[in-house]
Amino acid sequence: MLKFVRTRAVASLISLVGLLVMVFFLSRLTGDPAALFLPVEASAEMKEQFRELHGLNDPLLVQFTRYVGDVVTGDFGESLRKARPALDVVLEAFTWTLWLAVITMTLVAGAAIVVGSLAAFRAGGFFDRLASVISLIGASVPDFWIAIVAIVVFSVNLAWLPTSGTGSLLHWILPIAVLFIRPFGIIVQVVRGSMIGALSSAYVKTARAKGVKSGPIIFVHALRNAMLPVITVLGDQAASLLNGAVIVETIFGFPGVGKLMIDSILQRDFNVVLAAILVTALAIFVMNLLIDLAYALLDPRIRH
Amino acid sequence: MKKLFVLSALMLSSALSPAFAGSGPIKIVLAEEADLLEPCMATRSNIGRVIMQNVSETLTELDVRGDKGVMPRLAEKWEQNEDGSWRFHLRQGVKFSDGTTFDAKDVKHSFDRIMSEKNTCESRRYFGGITVTPAVVDDYTIDFSADPVQPILPLLMSLVTIVPEETPLEFIREPVGTGPYKLTNWTPGQQIVLTSRDDYWGTKPEVTEATYLFRADPSVRAAMVQTGEADLSPSISQLDATNPATDFSYLDSETVYLRIDHNIEPLNDVRVRRALNIAIDRQAFLGTLVPDSALLATAIVPPPTLGWNPDVKVFPYDPEGAKKLLEEAKADGVKVETPITIIARSANFPNVTEIMEAIQAQLQEVGFKVDLKFVEVAEHEQYYSKPFKEGRGPQIVAAMHDNSKGDPSFSMFFKYATDGTQSGFSDPKVDDLIKRASAAVGDERAKLWSELIAYVHDDVVADVLLFHMVGFSRVSERLDFKPTMATNGTLQLSEIKIK
Repeated sequence: MLKFVRTRAVASLISLVGLLVMVFFLSRLTGDPAALFLPVEASAEMKEQFRELHGLNDPLLVQFTRYVGDVVTGDFGESLRKARPALDVVLEAFTWTLWLAVITMTLVAGAAIVVGSLAAFRAGGFFDRLASVISLIGASVPDFWIAIVAIVVFSVNLAWLPTSGTGSLLHWILPIAVLFIRPFGIIVQVVRGSMIGALSSAYVKTARAKGVKSGPIIFVHALRNAMLPVITVLGDQAASLLNGAVIVETIFGFPGVGKLMIDSILQRDFNVVLAAILVTALAIFVMNLLIDLAYALLDPRIRH
Repeated sequence: MKKLFVLSALMLSSALSPAFAGSGPIKIVLAEEADLLEPCMATRSNIGRVIMQNVSETLTELDVRGDKGVMPRLAEKWEQNEDGSWRFHLRQGVKFSDGTTFDAKDVKHSFDRIMSEKNTCESRRYFGGITVTPAVVDDYTIDFSADPVQPILPLLMSLVTIVPEETPLEFIREPVGTGPYKLTNWTPGQQIVLTSRDDYWGTKPEVTEATYLFRADPSVRAAMVQTGEADLSPSISQLDATNPATDFSYLDSETVYLRIDHNIEPLNDVRVRRALNIAIDRQAFLGTLVPDSALLATAIVPPPTLGWNPDVKVFPYDPEGAKKLLEEAKADGVKVETPITIIARSANFPNVTEIMEAIQAQLQEVGFKVDLKFVEVAEHEQYYSKPFKEGRGPQIVAAMHDNSKGDPSFSMFFKYATDGTQSGFSDPKVDDLIKRASAAVGDERAKLWSELIAYVHDDVVADVLLFHMVGFSRVSERLDFKPTMATNGTLQLSEIKIK
């Protein structure tokens, strides 16, 4: 088991380093933060001084060596825009994103498995059709539209929930609800497909023949075997949430890592971009590891 | 009897209520977060909107609501000395929010700090090409000598925020100022709170506390004021500005224009530049893609600016005339068929894509070959500012310029002088006029700026001036506040009244 984790860690580390190198050079080659930090009317001397202060005048390789040296000692540099440590900025935002992702994916997994399984149990029946229509709509409606409509309905017209922002539990409801819809739609479909396969398998027929009730058949016998593809897709969806839900963060003024990353890329705030990539990549690596472990738990064939 | 009692109680309370109204906390929702609350960066709009004149004050202040010009703030009065330097007499009895007393040494330090090489204070840009030396005369008197002599030094001082002498040269994150408010909470990504100070030297403002919230989406900002989650949003989308009781438009000091690169054929030919100007039907944009209340521009600065020239007329829409000019130029051997690239910035202002596509179509209509290229902010800057790329084709950069400072000197050098960073041409008469106008005072100054504005527009045909833009704001009915041209960069809480 440990060996497995180690192999995966090495493979991920290699791709992470590759990613950081690429982002480091590409971001520096495509824009000058001095020109973005200072107004267009700033003199050439001022821009020069900004670059000098932040070490941006050195050859790229020198900058890179210095950056690597700092990162190895745990120093991710200062944000050019915010005059504070880049890692603090990123971790602050990432905490919000992590909570958002964890809560949303837990709800999605629970709801999608129940709805998808029930739909599969009577494939072609009324509940199946209803679930399919709802999940298809969920998987295809653009989230910016849902977000704005949700604000108009639940905040402006009904006045049940705050429009946006943070501060109370109520503030979490709309962002989570909007983020819930698409993965829910997709995963219901996956659960349903996988469950139909499992329910028509020989061991389910045997269980039925033995007189096992529908509930245990679905949730004990079939579900465990149907979970592997579901976990794969859940992982994919969770990964995209961990990268930050840019649209939802932007509309709801939610201080997550997605909008921070986009803003930092636009402003060429290099240290924040790199730190954000590193943190989210690490989170995704850990999550992938957990998924692999879940596979092994669910399926003894993988374990051995 | 009981009824009478209730009635009289009601009357009493309604008679008393005005005494209770008129002060309290408010919430303001802005589009862009202030990522730094550094006083010497307060001339940048997202920072200035929060701290300028609220936390950090300046010696002087430009009257944007009336026509009083430069008004006293931390300086009570000023005069020009015989040698051309300026003497400022400072207000006494002023305290910073950290309890220290404000005096001339703080002013000198604030100025030196802006000029320091230990930071990149943005207000330094207003002193480009000028050497200013502050000299403390006594605790409440300070001289500023400038080389060359600066007739608008008192105006320039409205851009220098005053910090205590103890402030380090490096950027700080907790501003200390003499203003009516102090920073009491800053949770990055979420909110900034300013609380009014009991020991403020001036009149105590009605707003006791201001919470700033940040939402990038304009319809969310509008919804927040509607639901009462915020009291004021200085910028909402035109589409959301539907409630006459709370929503209104205001001239916001932004001017949209097409900067022409005169160095590359065919844009080096004045007939071609004139053809560009008369091929565009500016009026057709108003009320369609551009708000109805926007103004057609004849200068890079908006009308309330000194020297704005009412005699300069908007180019007529004359596609036939444009075709004729192009033919003439072509007959003289000018390569008018060379494709011209218009470079615009995505999301620069509302409808920028549609506006630029319409302009492209109108130009193609008269025979121009026009490519349209949208770029993000970092790349746009590379096209807009010098040094321009070698070997480039004919280029036009669509840009938006902001001048709410009341004087064209903050625009003209950068946009039109030979050495201006965004200037697409070089003209000795323009350089001379800018130099003379910058050094002139009073009516002479206004006259020279007027002359320059006319010359650049009518003779040089420097660029394609399009619109002075308007913003839309939503102000809760419990507030009495009208945004001004300066609201983009300064939002003085003391100007907000609570009904």
